[in-house]
Amino acid sequence: MKSYNFLFWAYNVIWLGLGVYLAVLLVRLNRTRRRVERLEQRVDELARD
Amino acid sequence: MSRTGDALLWALYGLTAGLMCVAIYMVFLYAPDELVMGAVQRVFYFHVPAAMVTFGSVAVLLAGSVAYLWTRDLRWDNLSLAATECGLVFCTLVLITGPIWAKPAWGVWWTWEARLTTTLILWVLLAACMMVRGYAENRDLGARLASVVGIVAALDVPIIHKAVDWWRGQHPQVFKPGSDSAMDPRMLNTFVVCIVVFLMLFGLLLAVRFRQAQLDDRVERLVQRIADR
Repeated sequence: MKSYNFLFWAYNVIWLGLGVYLAVLLVRLNRTRRRVERLEQRVDELARD
Repeated sequence: MSRTGDALLWALYGLTAGLMCVAIYMVFLYAPDELVMGAVQRVFYFHVPAAMVTFGSVAVLLAGSVAYLWTRDLRWDNLSLAATECGLVFCTLVLITGPIWAKPAWGVWWTWEARLTTTLILWVLLAACMMVRGYAENRDLGARLASVVGIVAALDVPIIHKAVDWWRGQHPQVFKPGSDSAMDPRMLNTFVVCIVVFLMLFGLLLAVRFRQAQLDDRVERLVQRIADR
């Protein structure tokens, strides 16, 4: 039973680690995409002025 | 990213998630218990592929570093950055799951055994690779320094691989090909599926992180254009 405890924690660490990393990457990617869109809009506005 | 690129990324994400479910089923319900170590040996089904993917990340890091130093094209540095970060994540998982297995098997969480120590050195080098980028005065200097540290990190990989033979370490070589102990075919199938899943996961994370780095460069260029006006 004790070895199942270790197994449980090992796999939880893996899921948590990979899940958190993937979530952080996707959030950062979306945030940067929005920033690029805003900056491109600003560049267009400046070009029109 | 283009719509095709996005669609491919989401397809890879779905495929990886699906195969991950298959891998979990195989690890816990399909593969039999190992005779000596018992249930805790199942840690290896993810521990070993994570180590393999760490080595794969370092191979990409080496290629990106050499290509950057050769061409000074920042796209190569972005590839190195993505590989470094992925390598650091997978190496961290290896260094956490290893001791979780070691405690019931060896009775200690950590021992300064050759393979463990050289893997820890790799983790430190990957962390150093990230830090020199962060602390460098400018982007080019950071990229150059990180490339050099990345090449040094790559030199550690063959040492990790051969550490058990060279220093007669106690780290097990459970899945060593060609070893005398024949592996149960169910264990081998499970192991192969886990390797495939981890490689796909690595591809996915590398692609997303590379894209992020490319977008960061684009932000920098746009900010510069606005400032110049």
